[in-house]
Amino acid sequence: MDRSGWLIDEHGIDLRKALKAKKETGRVSPRVHDAPSAAVIRDIEAEVLIEATPTDFKTGEPGFSHMKAAFESRKHVVTCNKGPLALAYYALHELARHNGVQLRFSGAVGGGTPVLDFGKTCSTGDRLIGIRGILNGTCNYILTRMEGEGVAFEAALAGAQKEGYAEADPSLDVDGFDTAVKLVITANHLKLSKAGIKDVKIRGIRGISSKEVTKARREGKAVRLIASASAESGLVVAPTIVEREHPLCISGANNAVEFDCEYSGPKVIIGKGAGGPETASSLLRDLLEVRAKIDGQPGSRPAWRAAGAVGGPAR
Amino acid sequence: MRIVMKFGGTSVASAERIKNVAERVKGSGRGHQVVVVCSAMGDVTDELLALCADASKGMEKPVEERLASVRETHLAALAAAVGDKEVRRKVQGMLNLTLSQLEKLARGSTVLGELTPRSRDAILSCGERLSNPIVMGALIEKGVDAVFLTGGEAGIMTDDRFGDATPLLEVTKFQVSEKLSPLLAEGKTPVVTGYIGATQSGDTTTLGRGGSDFTGTLIASAVDADEVWIWSDVDGLMTADPRLVPSARVLREISYEEAGEMAVFGAKALHPRTLEPVAEKGIPVRFRNTFKPDDPGTVVKRNPKLYSKSVVKGVALVKEVAVITVRGASMVGKPGSAARIFDVMGRSGINVLMISQSVSESNISLVVARSAMEKGANALELALLGDGGYRHILTEGDVSAVAVVGGAMRSTKGVAATAFGAISAKGINIKMIASGSSNQNLSLIVAEKDAKDTVRAIHSAFRLDRLNS
Repeated sequence: MDRSGWLIDEHGIDLRKALKAKKETGRVSPRVHDAPSAAVIRDIEAEVLIEATPTDFKTGEPGFSHMKAAFESRKHVVTCNKGPLALAYYALHELARHNGVQLRFSGAVGGGTPVLDFGKTCSTGDRLIGIRGILNGTCNYILTRMEGEGVAFEAALAGAQKEGYAEADPSLDVDGFDTAVKLVITANHLKLSKAGIKDVKIRGIRGISSKEVTKARREGKAVRLIASASAESGLVVAPTIVEREHPLCISGANNAVEFDCEYSGPKVIIGKGAGGPETASSLLRDLLEVRAKIDGQPGSRPAWRAAGAVGGPAR
Repeated sequence: MRIVMKFGGTSVASAERIKNVAERVKGSGRGHQVVVVCSAMGDVTDELLALCADASKGMEKPVEERLASVRETHLAALAAAVGDKEVRRKVQGMLNLTLSQLEKLARGSTVLGELTPRSRDAILSCGERLSNPIVMGALIEKGVDAVFLTGGEAGIMTDDRFGDATPLLEVTKFQVSEKLSPLLAEGKTPVVTGYIGATQSGDTTTLGRGGSDFTGTLIASAVDADEVWIWSDVDGLMTADPRLVPSARVLREISYEEAGEMAVFGAKALHPRTLEPVAEKGIPVRFRNTFKPDDPGTVVKRNPKLYSKSVVKGVALVKEVAVITVRGASMVGKPGSAARIFDVMGRSGINVLMISQSVSESNISLVVARSAMEKGANALELALLGDGGYRHILTEGDVSAVAVVGGAMRSTKGVAATAFGAISAKGINIKMIASGSSNQNLSLIVAEKDAKDTVRAIHSAFRLDRLNS
């Protein structure tokens, strides 16, 4: 399904043909449909909905309605859509439970890097004290450029836009909102907090001067947009000075998250942030996990053995 | 302030009272954001229950009479409550739509001579779907920008246990907030039907008795209200039912736990889950009398300060209960004996109100609603007797339960001694005792004929008649 219509074939869709059609005509379906998409999701015979519509941080729509329709008709949901998860985390889980189906969203945080699964495994059998991390690749890319080239924020942003690392309207990224949404999902998923987006103290990277960045570099440190959650200080997104040797201090369009546990100490996972292929791999991973759980198999664990991940004490 | 105001059936029983409701909302709500939740008018719900019974027996004539009476009641109330022609026409249109749905449902069921739980809920929901638009009309006439929504439209989603549906709390909170918060921000006053929700596929459900209060607290929690005001025809929550104990006093303050322990507090029956959504967030609930708007009523809240010296805050009587006792020497020291008994009760759909077992384990007593006594005893006999361990199943139907409630009971010595002393001074024998580990409730079973005296004796032993605010 895309914004103009849908393609249904109970014998399976020929993906090559569908992609060709999408490239040539801009839509998957030969004709434009106007029935509401939620109704199609409800009525179609399928086991799983993969919800990947553009995220809306204010209403969560149309993602929320799509997922609701899927649950109502007893379909599992695999999604990377952050808006509905951050706004209605518990509502979506309640609906899934009520209908006896699964809700999986490992791609919502960290793209292809299984941040949520890793965090869950870290906190099993231990008590999670806090989370700290870099959850937005665009901001990290901009800060890295400011650092490497000594340029101002605007110049670094323009460069990021030119190279496709930032959107034409970069505000969701650079003002910290995207990071905050991922932080909310992570904190709720790991039962660290029941907070919503409006409970997060957010400061983005727009106000960072090249002077600050250079000063930090001279002192063997770096400025990073850090999201953190803990019982004492709540949920915060703010530019923070980080030691260069610290594993969290990564460069480029990457993500890194540290999970600090009471007994087993801190662990860090590092990997590429959200991009097309990375997010697609997370959707496939979740789809296989849905299947594995239905079959009663342990699944593809341990899931964090992804390229780029490091374990062990971080400080 | 953001306030959810819920009005009970007596508060909207006539055109005059509906105008009074509009006055309350406009008056108390000045400068505030208000959500209004109303029950069905007066005894309309009872009328609809009777209609359901008649329809399921295929009795055409009484069904038609009741339909005519429901139509007449609401059209007359509308005519008297709303003067403005334009507004009246708008409400009339809404009423006609609901009335014609009601008639179709009732006539269809009558022809079939059967009524599914789902159709029954659709019929029962009409009481609220008829009263609330009239209230909306009266509000609009007073210059309030009111909009009408059913519980389902407002976002209350339930499971599909028709007749006593359970809201999906998280989904409901999210959907109601998404729906009502923007309306409130625009300065509108939503008027939402109490008692009603909808399943995920949109079928109308009802929340069970006292469900309108529950609607009020659900909405309050969803829109982060500052307070819930529950308006009815009583002065508030009382130390006892004033019909039983004339000297019963209105409690000014009480905690969520205390109010929750008291299923029946004074003359005001609470839906058992009413306080759940608001207790979590600490939203205060005020019980007030529509006819005494200057009276503060009772506020249920976190950490009440009043009555810090009073250990016991109320005595309640639960009538129409029965005791079932299972006896057998070889139940002693046999793990799983109690589990089997409760399993049988659960499978038979019987709710157990109170449980008592002595440490000797040779008998276990259950208190159930009296209407379920025979069914429960039969089920237990069939399942357990002849199985060696269980010897006798005894029933006692002429008993009542008395609950003594107070938050400070857990940290005070001698509460039971005072209660038992007062009861024995009246020459009354206590048949069964239970106290939950919350220690905010001491429950007793006495003979039905002694029940009123027991309540009065406890009420005066703890000087509840002199409880002052």
